[in-house]
Amino acid sequence: MGFGDLKTPAGLKVLNDFLADKSYIEGYVPSQADIVVFDALSGAPSADLCHALRWYNHIKSYQKEKASLPGVKKPLGQYGPAGMEDTTVGVPAVKDEEEDDDIDLFGSDEEEEDEETKRIKEERLAAYNAKKSKKPALIAKSSILLDVKPWDDETDMTKLEQCVRSIQMDGLVWGQSKLVPVGYGIKKLQIACVVEDDKVGTDQLEELITAFEDYVQSMDVAAFNKI
Amino acid sequence: MALKELSSLEKCLGLKKPNKYSTQGEKKVPVLQNNQGSALVGLVTIASHLVCEAQRTELLGDSAEQRAVVQQWLEYRVTRLDGCSKDEVKVILKELNQYLEDKVYMAGNCFTLADALMYYGIHHIVMELAVEEKERYLNVTRWFDHIQHYPGVRHHLPPVVVLRNRVYPSSQH
Repeated sequence: MGFGDLKTPAGLKVLNDFLADKSYIEGYVPSQADIVVFDALSGAPSADLCHALRWYNHIKSYQKEKASLPGVKKPLGQYGPAGMEDTTVGVPAVKDEEEDDDIDLFGSDEEEEDEETKRIKEERLAAYNAKKSKKPALIAKSSILLDVKPWDDETDMTKLEQCVRSIQMDGLVWGQSKLVPVGYGIKKLQIACVVEDDKVGTDQLEELITAFEDYVQSMDVAAFNKI
Repeated sequence: MALKELSSLEKCLGLKKPNKYSTQGEKKVPVLQNNQGSALVGLVTIASHLVCEAQRTELLGDSAEQRAVVQQWLEYRVTRLDGCSKDEVKVILKELNQYLEDKVYMAGNCFTLADALMYYGIHHIVMELAVEEKERYLNVTRWFDHIQHYPGVRHHLPPVVVLRNRVYPSSQH
């Protein structure tokens, strides 16, 4: 966690990216977390870091109520995007870390393990666990009805259906299917599936289905409903 | 649509007794019958009345400037947002995105009626946005996510998922 050194342009850029889709450092109300980061900045961010500037001006307006904001002040390194190196004051300089690496290469002794690396490891673990526990958030799903058309009326529709159902993807669940006559004895396969929006897209599905060139002439999306 | 919104607004404001609304005209403009016999017509009119009834006039803005901004967005909601066509949606989103670049709330530094009504009005648009579009109008998404988590606002509307890890590289800075 941590933003890096907030007195450097690199750290400010991390803060800016972090705040691009958030109104506050933590949660949806101003809290002590915002005050901690606010105090760590040496001044208002420049105008090209528009999100950081927006947040800065907003938090500045809460200056009078600083003490009454909810939350508990945590060390600066606890805030910010997970996975960032915590380079706030108190972390050893790069030279020390290199030395650590050397020792590790040759098999470190338990006592040699730097306290800082242990702390960083623990922080990363806590961030990972926090992220995992937040997982049962809403997953956007959609129900898609696909029309798969064969080449002619002699195509084996059961084989076609098997091919389509053999497509396995993370976030894709096949549902009911039925054969709908189109004319001249040709039937198209209408099959439903439930997908997670973030993981599966209709273009991907189309590519995978039309890959079965022997059976599938084309594929269309007949209906697309968000759940 | 407007009626559900008004009842959600009542709950948000903490009004105990729900009012009975009716609609008039083909645009289904909401009407509130007063005890004195006169009627309040129009979403913004009724919403402002409810705010006064709940004694939460700060939701209409503190300073004169803030009040003006709140009124501006209430009007925007009714004239531009309601019943807009597909092409106008893009224009509206672009305008909002630009406006919200340096603002956390629609007007000033606190939640106002403008935020609530704009949220209700734009919900059906944001719900249909693809992930890529939500990234393009990042400020709108950020404001929207913020308002929908504000206690008491999101009643009858399903929450919209906002992807936290940015998928598309930032094209704005």
